[in-house]
Amino acid sequence: MAKQTFTTGQVLTAAQMTSLQQTAMLGGDASVKVASYTLVAADAGTTVAMNSASTTTITVNTGLFAAGDTVFIQNRGAGVCTVTAGSATIASAGSLALPQNDAGILYFTSTSAATFYDFIQVGATSPLTTKGDLYGYSTSDARIPIGANGTVLTADSTESLGLKWAAAAAGSGLTVVKAKTSFSNVANTGSTFDSVFSATYDNYLIIIDRVSAATSSDDLLFTYLYSGTEQATGYYGNMLRLRYDLSSAPSASDVFHRNNATSFMINDNTGDNTYDTRASINVYMGHAIAMSGHCAAGGSNLGYSTFGGFNETLRTYTGFRLKSSSSNITGSCTVYGLAKS
Amino acid sequence: MTNKKQMIEIIKAENPTLKVGDEKNGYIELSNTEYNAIISEWADARLDKEAKQVKAQAKAEAKSVAQSKLAALGLTVEDLTALGL
Repeated sequence: MAKQTFTTGQVLTAAQMTSLQQTAMLGGDASVKVASYTLVAADAGTTVAMNSASTTTITVNTGLFAAGDTVFIQNRGAGVCTVTAGSATIASAGSLALPQNDAGILYFTSTSAATFYDFIQVGATSPLTTKGDLYGYSTSDARIPIGANGTVLTADSTESLGLKWAAAAAGSGLTVVKAKTSFSNVANTGSTFDSVFSATYDNYLIIIDRVSAATSSDDLLFTYLYSGTEQATGYYGNMLRLRYDLSSAPSASDVFHRNNATSFMINDNTGDNTYDTRASINVYMGHAIAMSGHCAAGGSNLGYSTFGGFNETLRTYTGFRLKSSSSNITGSCTVYGLAKS
Repeated sequence: MTNKKQMIEIIKAENPTLKVGDEKNGYIELSNTEYNAIISEWADARLDKEAKQVKAQAKAEAKSVAQSKLAALGLTVEDLTALGL
């Protein structure tokens, strides 16, 4: 029932009371519109329902309503219906655009101003659709679609939502190239640590953790790989073994000479897993191919070893292989790249 | 002294198959060609190590014998050094 002006002594009918009650409960008959519509004074206290498949507006002008008047506005159609300020002003904490099945109350604070209370407020519905989506905002709520694997969320004011997924910027220090990777009882690690060297870095740090051989007297060896192929010659360098029981200067038997050898040696008698070997290796892939490092040596020659050398063949190496000289190998390894200065 | 053929048999008995890979991505068994190449490489390494151990042991034994002979003569290594030997 529309807003009435009651007079003294007027008798209300049962039908009028029922209609008034329904209106007070935001029910009652609705005035259904199928196209854009401009509110009139008679709409005060009523329900105006838009039902259109197309986009429509409901326009609000001044001088038609008094302070305290309300109009209940529904949108039943598929087209978005927008409550639009004509000559009146409309305040709202939410959106003035009503999607299908949304509704709100237009409450007049004066003859020329109203507040629209949208039932579905901002944030009441989620724009997210896909695993990994983030909740973003531009001028309204929006989804930030999940990015590609390995990318990181980056602020970018030129993006419509102010954020984008992008490749991580190179760090200023060490970056994990290959996360700690465990291997157990394998002939070599060639397939595991290929594709770890690239043009991104010149210097690498390889941390070898708890490496042991199936046979305690085995040596731990290191070779380079290029796209899966092992560099099998041209290793020049030395490994110096310092056993725990060595109380005088090392002898010749403690020096392991690599003269055009088939590999670098990291440790003599790598040992079983009682005293496994831990090492850090620095690899340089610049104008020379160099490696050096040291290790806490396990096995029967418990102690310390230091090693280093060059490979004479300059080529683009892509990885490395750890292996035991004559048995399987077990352990784990992490590869870091040092940012170019 | 074990020859290479015997050593290959020993290592093959220890390792009927060989694999490469890691715990995250899984392991792949090596082909026959790859398997035989690695077994051969391992056999060479063990034989080389055995030979070095035999040589080092012989050297240590010879040193011990020489020291015993010196001691029988009432000489020490320092005496020989003093003689410029």
